[in-house]
Parts: sequence; structure tokens; C-alpha cells
Amino acid sequence: MSVDPLIEVRGLTVAAGDRVILDDISLSLAPRAILGLIGESGSGKTVLAQALVNWLPAGLRITKGEIRYRGRDVLTLPRAEARRLRGREIGYVGANPAGALDPTLSVGSQLVEKLRAVEPGVSKQEARDRAIALLGAVHIPSPEMRFHEYPFQYSGGMMQRAMIVDAMISNPALLVADNITQPLDVTIGAQIIKLMRELTEQFDTAILFVSSSLPTVADLAGDILVLSNGAIVEHQPAPSLVATPRHPYTEKLIAELPTLWTDRGVGTPREHAPDAPAIMSIRQVSKTYEAAGKSPFGAKRRIQAVRNADFDVFEGENFGVVGESGCGKSTLMRLLTGLEPPDSGQVLFEGRDLAVQHGAALRATRQRLQLVLQDPYSSLPPQTSIGDIIAEPLHIHAIGGRRERRRRALDMMGEVGLARALYDELPAGLSAGQRQRVNVARAMILEPRLLIMDETLSALDQTEQAKLLDLFERLQAQHNFTYVFISHDIAMVRRVCGRIAVMYLGEVVELALNQRLFFDPGHPYSKALLSAAPTLEERRYRPEDCLLEGEPPSPIDLPPGCAFASRCPSAFARCRTENPPAFPRGHHDRAECFLLDPAHTSPLQKARPDA
Amino acid sequence: MFVVTFLVRRLAQGAVIIFLVSFLIFTLLRVVPGDPVRLMAGGMAPEELIEQIAEDMGLRDPIPVQFARYMGGVIQGDLGQSFLRPASGAAVGGAQFDDATRAERAEVLTLIAETAPMTIQLALLSMVFALLIATPIGIAGGLYPGRWPDRLALYLGSLFVSLPNFWLGIVLVLLLSVKLGWLPAIGYGGFAWTILPALVLAIEIAPFILRTLTVSVAQVMQENYIAAATVRGLGRTRIVFAHALKNASVPLLNLLGVQFSLLLGGVLVIEFIFDYPGLGLLTINAVLQRDFPLIQGIAIVTSAAFVLINIIVDLAATAIDPRLDY
Repeated sequence: MSVDPLIEVRGLTVAAGDRVILDDISLSLAPRAILGLIGESGSGKTVLAQALVNWLPAGLRITKGEIRYRGRDVLTLPRAEARRLRGREIGYVGANPAGALDPTLSVGSQLVEKLRAVEPGVSKQEARDRAIALLGAVHIPSPEMRFHEYPFQYSGGMMQRAMIVDAMISNPALLVADNITQPLDVTIGAQIIKLMRELTEQFDTAILFVSSSLPTVADLAGDILVLSNGAIVEHQPAPSLVATPRHPYTEKLIAELPTLWTDRGVGTPREHAPDAPAIMSIRQVSKTYEAAGKSPFGAKRRIQAVRNADFDVFEGENFGVVGESGCGKSTLMRLLTGLEPPDSGQVLFEGRDLAVQHGAALRATRQRLQLVLQDPYSSLPPQTSIGDIIAEPLHIHAIGGRRERRRRALDMMGEVGLARALYDELPAGLSAGQRQRVNVARAMILEPRLLIMDETLSALDQTEQAKLLDLFERLQAQHNFTYVFISHDIAMVRRVCGRIAVMYLGEVVELALNQRLFFDPGHPYSKALLSAAPTLEERRYRPEDCLLEGEPPSPIDLPPGCAFASRCPSAFARCRTENPPAFPRGHHDRAECFLLDPAHTSPLQKARPDA
Repeated sequence: MFVVTFLVRRLAQGAVIIFLVSFLIFTLLRVVPGDPVRLMAGGMAPEELIEQIAEDMGLRDPIPVQFARYMGGVIQGDLGQSFLRPASGAAVGGAQFDDATRAERAEVLTLIAETAPMTIQLALLSMVFALLIATPIGIAGGLYPGRWPDRLALYLGSLFVSLPNFWLGIVLVLLLSVKLGWLPAIGYGGFAWTILPALVLAIEIAPFILRTLTVSVAQVMQENYIAAATVRGLGRTRIVFAHALKNASVPLLNLLGVQFSLLLGGVLVIEFIFDYPGLGLLTINAVLQRDFPLIQGIAIVTSAAFVLINIIVDLAATAIDPRLDY
């Protein structure tokens, strides 16, 4: 163990004015090691990552301590040298790949620019070759072509790979990865984690992996540091940290992690009574958007956002819709709430088609069908007081007088756990969690029958999520609501929803009872989702078996056959020519996969008739 | 391929716009009071003669018929002849109706072709002056928001925008021509005559450029990729010149397009004050004389210029920022 540390931090303290952001941080990282750093939002982990590359935002100051890179003090280096060290020896990848490159220049030219800025001796041709080789190494398909494309032509996952290339192109000894999987879909995030592991092996790079997701860090890192309120509270090797956490904060982090397969006794998700009537029925619903084509006379591009969705939501149940970005969740939400009519098919609420209702009838229906949105910040008008926001639906639906409205708004605030004193305040000072409570109160004040939650909890941290979920349960018990949760978060859906629809590229590929979906998924995509979900449990499905490299095809040029075939390890010839219909699996469960076709014999069985 | 379809589409749209502008101008001119024949033939001409001339020129036909006849000519490149201006260039005398030069009226196209280059020269020069004044200050203001360059840009802009151009023109003439004798002022005898009016126009435009640049540079400097460029190891000079200014130039380009169009079509006051023989002066006189064909011709040519400038600006913007998709 006599290896000199690559980077060593001693007693690092960072302050914003008088407020201490990081307090007496010490850590060291050996060459080729992966060190995990975990902490909640606001714990100071991004500041620490930025301090390591000496790139603190304006207003933050290092007040004490030292950072030594290979024995040299990074903080006292002259500016030009610090800059070169930063780009060349220490790579940094941030959480927001979308805006990290100049939108007006091709990705390739910016990779070349960066390499030549930190290593002036490299020729253009050489830099180009290295960039293309690395783009290939991070599994970007056809790197020679992608080299010339612009940042806006890259998807989020590809852009994050490009940023990893950008950091790795100068062959740094240390890579600081600051929450890099956070904005990505879980299946893409899993691919990035796999990539990080490959990189340490291929290029001998040490990685400081900063994340707010303990399962992700535990998956990748050797040692884990736990950061809480700007101080390191625990440092252990990953397995023992998970098995025997010493600090109460770590214990709490682990205890709050939602589980997929282990029963924690938090109660079973709401299923509907066997004889419950359908409150909402979706009948063969499709929605296609048209975007102008590149040429004025050419065909319009048709984006098939939702294709042939067909399911019932029964009274009193919690229905979940899961899927990754671009799968059509948001379009489905717009269809379910009647914000947009479907191109074909029907959305029936309480037996009546939403699309044929207008004016007063539609408004009356809306009273019983409410929506809670995703973004806690942009969904509240900043210049209206909290009380007025909550009472506004009553005003719109002409319910009660001024007094009555105020009383009901105050009652509602009490029910969702908002202090009555906030009635006349503006929403500016509220936290994300409080804002979502306002949103929920605004939807519930009309006493709706069905509430549609579109990623309502996604912007909140674990603790706050858990509190709101308890609130939802309590309110449901009191008022007998039906919930539809639309989410990308499979762990949340596992905890809350009785039945779950899994969407992929506009289709509901599987519909199943909670237990069935998690223990016996019928569709390979459901398995892939489960395999990629961040969890500390022993996985029932391993990403290596369930998911091929690659990203979903574009909804504009859908391939014939099954949309998942390009990433499905079990795909066979038929999947590429024919789109599988829904095969029933008992109860209301079904999945759209040829593997379930009774007439299907798998290629495996054909090859080995004895099996 | 993109450029071809873009040009086809935009030129077709432009043709429609020009057609509509022509129709509007044509109709309005004929609806408003004031008989051009009366002006043409002179105040003393007998009523019958006026009616006869009007009849001969087709001015008593229904407006759509007149318009169709006119557009037929325009398509072949014939903008018609001026009602009043003789080809010789001499002024047309007041009241006499037996004007012998009637047959040799000036071609509208020739009149415009003679004056337009003067206005283009003026517009370009004032653009150059404005950019020279505003670009360095604007960029500095954007790079140091809240600090003195930003404040300088703001104050200078407010000062410039509140100077009335006619007043400034007269003051500059007094100062630079009359008192100091550095620059010629009235009429046109060479390039030097363009400088003073261009300076006045530049001071009028500069505040807009200042404001746009300050705001867009400051905005771009807030972008994630500018901050990220530092940690990627790029130097400050490179970040500012290769990335920030490139991205900030699109709004400026749009502004310059609009300003240039305005300069071509509307430097009436300045050309009038300096007696500068450009399109503006021609327009004023044409309007005062009810010279229908000339007014129409100027309208068509300037709207065509608007359309072309817009196409060029959009094309340049897509070249700078490939995300833009017009």
C-alpha cells in the first residue's frame, strides 16, 4: 500500500461569505482507483468536485486546506499552469451534458479544439484520429459520421458519452465525474456506468465518482465517502458501507432507499376491488404529431407519440405508467386529461368520451379529473399568493362565496401539511416539496375522483418523496381517490401502484399487477428496466443479460416490427418484420412480445430439442 | 441541397410579399385625393384636356384593370415612366399645359438606378460607422456586466438615442463644415459628401447595436458551455472570441438586417437635410408631386430589397448556428 496518492486533499474548507459549504474535508485517491462520493442535494458534493479542479463558481472561496495533485499544490499554481493541469491531467464531466458544448460548432471540432488547447503539440489530424477512436471506445455508433454532427443532433446519453470523450481525450490520470448519470434514463445510465468501469481498465484512469444515488455509487466504486452538510461523515469500502453503515446519516440513507424485491413492510400498494368499475377507459388511442420536413415539398415527419394504447383504470386503484424519456408518457398524460384529443380511439372518463365534451360539460368533468404537474417551479404563478392559487379552481368552477373559498383553501392547506400562515405569502420562498404540496392542494380542492400525477415526485429528494407518498395514501383513504402515477421512477411505482403499464416508444408493451411485473415480467423491456434500476438488493435481472447497447430508435422513423427489437437480447427474425400484438397473461395482465405467443417456439428450443 | 430549397421557398414567399405591397400601394395611391393629371398638365389646363390625358393614360379604368396592366409591365422589367420628370433631367415647369417634352418622360427604373447606389453607399457607410462605435463598447459591456464598460454602453446608448437626427445633422454641419471646414455638407460631389450624413445616421443606429450586443454577449457568457469551457482547459481569449462572440452574433445579425432595410427605405429626413441625391430625396419629391409610377417603383424596389436582405440575413444566421431552421 505504498502507492503515492494521485490526489490528496487535506483540511479543505470552502465558504460562501460567512457560510461554510465544505468543512475540513480530507480525502486521497490512488492511481487507477474509483472513489465514490455520495450525498444528498445541498450536501456540497458538487462544490467539492469543482474545488478539486480549482473551478469554484464566483462567490465561493477556499478558506483553508490544500489540494495536492501528485505532490504539487493545485491551489497555488499560476493561472496558465492550473488551466493546463485542469484540462490535461484532470478531466471533469458535469451533470448537464446538454449545454456543455457550443451549439454552433460540431462535436468533433470541439473535441479537437480542447485537445489542442491543453496539448499544443498535437496536430489536427492526430487530434481528429484520437477523438474518433475515443468516440468509438465509448460506443457511439459510426463515430466518423458522428464526429461531424452538432451537439443538438446528439441525444442526452450520447452527449454524456461525448463529454466523457472530451474529458478523456488528453488521457488524464484523474477523472472527476459529477453526478453524470443523474439526468439520464436508467437504461442509458447503466450503460454509462459500464463504460466508466471499462475506462479505468483501458486507460488507467482514476475516477472520483460523485452521485446522489447510493446504489449507483456502490455498484461502481471501491471506497465510498459519505458527505452530509459539507462534512465527510463516513468512509468505508463499498460492500461494508452498505452492509454495516456506522454513521446514522448513512443508515438513514440506506433505510430510505426504496426496494424492488425485498418486502420492507411499508404496506401493499392499492389494488382495485375485484368488482370495481372502470373510472377511465382508454380505447385504441393513438396520437401522431407532425413536424415540418426539411424540404418544402417533401413529406412531413410524423412523430408517433402514442400508438394503440388500450387499458382501463379501475375505481380506487393506483395505476402506474412507467417508461423512459421519449416513450410517450407526457403525450399520454395530455390525452388522459383531455388537453388534446387523440387522433383515433377514445378516452372515456366515467363512461363518457372526453373528446366530444365541450364548454360547461367539459368543465364539469374536469372538476372530477385533476392533474398535478412535474415541475414545482414553473407550475405556480410567482405573483399570486399561495392561498389564491389553491382557491382559484373554486373560483373557476364558481363554487362557494369568498368566505367559503377561503375556508376550504385553508382546510386544504392543513390537509396537505402547509402552515396556514402561508395563505397570503407568495410561492417564492417555498421549497420544492412545499410547492408540490401547493400543487396537490390545488388539484384536490375540487374533490376530484381521479388524480393524474405526471412525474409529480421526480423533482423531490427521497425524504420529501416519502413524506408526500404518505400524504397521498392518507388522502386516498379519506376521500377514496383513484390515482394515475406517470413516472420514470420504477422504485416509486413499485411502492405505490397496484397495476403498472410499461411504455416503450409510444406503446404499452406490458400491463401487469405490481407483484407480477417485478417477479415475472412478460416483456424483455420490462426486464431491462428492472435490471437497470438503481438498487442495493441482489438483482433478479442482470443488465448484462437483459439489455443490449444502443438507444431507442427515433419515433419518427420507426422500424417495422417490434420497436424494442434493436436492443432486445431475445429478438429473433419475426420480431424485426412484425409488430407483436398483446398476449394475455391472466387477470388483466398482458404483454406485447412474441416470446409469449403460444405458437412460438424459441430459437433456443429449436436448437436443442431436448431442452 | 438545403440552400437550394431554402432559396426557392423564400424567393417564392418574397414574390408574394412584393406583389401584395405593390397592390396595396397602387390602390392606396388611387384612392387618396389629389389628381395627378391636374398636377401633370398644370393648373391652367382645361378640364377636357385633363380628361383626355387621363383617358389616354388609362387612369379612368377600374383599379384592378390598371393594376393588371401595370404588373404586366413590371414582370417584364418595365416600371413605367415618371408622370412629371423629363428624361433630360430638367425640372418640369409649373402651370403650362402645352409641355413639349411630354413624350420623353424619364424611365422610373433609370431614376431609381441612378439614386439607389447613392443610398446604398450612405447606408453601408453609416453601418460601418455604427459598428465601429458600438461593437467594442457593446462587447466590453457584455463581458463585464454591472461594471464600468456596461454602464458606459448604457449611458452612451441613452445619450445617442435621445439626440434628434435633424438637430444633430444641423449641429454637425455647423461644426464640421461651417466652422471647421473639414467636410462638405450639402449636395453630392464625391465620397466625402457621404461622410456627414452617414455619421448622423450611425449615431442614430448605434444605441440599438450597443444594447443588442451587450445583452446577447452577457447572456451567452452565462451559458453552460462557456463555464464548462474553462474546466475543459480552454483559454479565456479562445472562449470569448471563438465561442461567445460567435453565438452572440446571431441577434446582432438580425438587427443589422432590419436596420439596413430601414436605412434603404427611410433615410428621408437626413437625405432631405443634406440634399443628398438618394432614394429618400427621390421619394419625397415623388410623393409631393403625386408621381404615381415613381412612388410605385420605389415601393417595389425597396420591398424587394427588404426581402433579399432578410433572406441573406437568415442564410447567414443558419451558417453561424446550424440549429436555426428557417
